[in-house]
Amino acid sequence: MIVVEDIHVTFGRGTPLEKHALRGVDLTIPEGEFVTVIGSNGAGKSTFLGSLAGDVLAEQGRISIDGTDVTRWDTPRRAGLVARVFQDPMAGSCAALTIEENMALAAARGRRRGLGLALGSDRRRNFRDRIAALGLGLENRLHDRMGLLSGGQRQAVSLLMATLAGSKILLLDEHTAALDPATADFVLDLTRRIVRDNRLTTLMVTHSMRQALDYGDRTLMLHEGRVVLDVAGEERAGLDVPHLLALFAKQRGGVEISDDSLLIG
Amino acid sequence: MTEIALFGAIEIGLVYALVAIGVYLSFRILDFPDLTVDGSFPLGAAVCAVLLIAGVNPWLASLAAALAGAAAGLVTATLNVRFKILHLLASILTMIALFSVNLRVMGRPNVALLMQDTVLTPFYGLGIPDHIVRPLVVGVIVAVVVLLLARFLSSEFGLAMRATGVNARMARAQGVDTDAHVYAGIALSNALTGLAGALFAQTNGFADVTTGIGTIVVGLAAVIVGETVLPARTLALALVGCVAGSILYRLAVQLALSADSIGLQASDLNLVTAVLVAVALILPRLRAKASRSVSRSPSAAK
Ligand SMILES: Nc1ncnc2c1ncn2[C@@H]1O[C@H](COP(=O)(O)OP(=O)(O)OP(=O)(O)O)[C@@H](O)[C@H]1O
Ligand SMILES: [Mg+2]
Repeated sequence: MIVVEDIHVTFGRGTPLEKHALRGVDLTIPEGEFVTVIGSNGAGKSTFLGSLAGDVLAEQGRISIDGTDVTRWDTPRRAGLVARVFQDPMAGSCAALTIEENMALAAARGRRRGLGLALGSDRRRNFRDRIAALGLGLENRLHDRMGLLSGGQRQAVSLLMATLAGSKILLLDEHTAALDPATADFVLDLTRRIVRDNRLTTLMVTHSMRQALDYGDRTLMLHEGRVVLDVAGEERAGLDVPHLLALFAKQRGGVEISDDSLLIG
Repeated sequence: MTEIALFGAIEIGLVYALVAIGVYLSFRILDFPDLTVDGSFPLGAAVCAVLLIAGVNPWLASLAAALAGAAAGLVTATLNVRFKILHLLASILTMIALFSVNLRVMGRPNVALLMQDTVLTPFYGLGIPDHIVRPLVVGVIVAVVVLLLARFLSSEFGLAMRATGVNARMARAQGVDTDAHVYAGIALSNALTGLAGALFAQTNGFADVTTGIGTIVVGLAAVIVGETVLPARTLALALVGCVAGSILYRLAVQLALSADSIGLQASDLNLVTAVLVAVALILPRLRAKASRSVSRSPSAAK
């Protein structure tokens, strides 16, 4: 469970470029809930996920994950609780290391790293089985450098890596934005499967209204650093893309937006 | 080249192989251009020489030299990580400071080791010529270092250190305390350099504050030569490449110096090394440019 109480984040405080990116976000996300997050460019979506992960520390407010107050914890310290997949396929893995080395890194997330071998034969076998389950034929390429994989393959492996060590929450920041539509669908289905099988509390940022409604249990819309829409259950089931677009347009000052694709950016 | 000169080149190549491995750790693995080695090499030599003269066991003196090197590395890492000074500048500050420190340690610009026991002493009496004993002993030490380091870098801690250099953001998201790994890596790099300085003092019989000048460039040259002759797919091979590169570099230098027709003197060494490293750094760029323009021309023809 994630409890966020009135958090504020300001970039460049006291400079001409000061940006109040989060202006009092209040949320409770129960264990196992899958939340999709939408909002226009600069709404604060990435900043919000970053504040959950520890990349940016909230200057005001409180964040707790599973009852632990993590407000002042930095990213490495929170890593035992938080797993992530980034938008840029390059960002979430080490291109110069092999696939199995990347997996070994992720498998030790949140644990003390000692002088034991990172890749014992048991672990190798386990990795091979896990990656075979993706159905991408990567099980014979464990020694290949991660940089040799396509963007979609890298995102799929990144998702798998997110599950190698236990975690409480999964943060996905437009993790399919850099992929072609077919690959994006594959990665989204994989996401759904992984979230369900591991019962992860998940936040997924997307620019697609369709995805925001089709996936998960609850949808948030952020605008100018605030949550302006929070729907779940019946109310959400009754929404469709035009409704959402209308709401979205209203937040942006009444400008009509007719097509989902306009928002992909 | 005479036999003595040949073994001499191998010996000095092996001593500097430890510097090359240190440079590989900082420049390649941590992506941290660290010039501290210009100071930590003579620091290691100075600490070792002074301790040997004080009658300390040579192995302990060598260990102390490595620890002194590690401390120098920690200073650089602290300036960079804690106080956010650019890594190059941080290491230059430490390097300059070490020049004074080294003078303090020795009390004068150079110290000769004449009658003192060194790690080599027990091996001189075995009937093998001295000029072969030295590279043999140093070679064994280098081999042990390579094995230990290869094992270290394939541990969970070592893997996290490599990730720190490749993609710090990802490493942090995986719970790696990247700052701690920079401290550890730069300390280790300079510890190896300090040990190299100690071996230099013991094989050459002196320590001198000026021996540090250009250490970084020699180390880089060795790394680059190694990468060229032995494009390594695995980490252990890359470390072996550093050793091979260091020896080959010294052999090439020895050859150039002994060929009278070229007319080079020992004092031209730094110039030759700098040119070699510059060329090695420029070449891949030119090659990339060439292949880009080749691949561009067919598409332009369409
Ligand atoms: N590190 C930073 N320094 C300064 N300003 C920042 C920083 N990160 C984000 N911002 C600013 O904060 C605001 C929110 O940015 P954020 O990245 O959270 O938006 P977003 O909703 O993720 O947008 P997008 O859809 O474009 O990804 C923007 O105005 C952005 O310019
Ligand atoms: Mg964003």
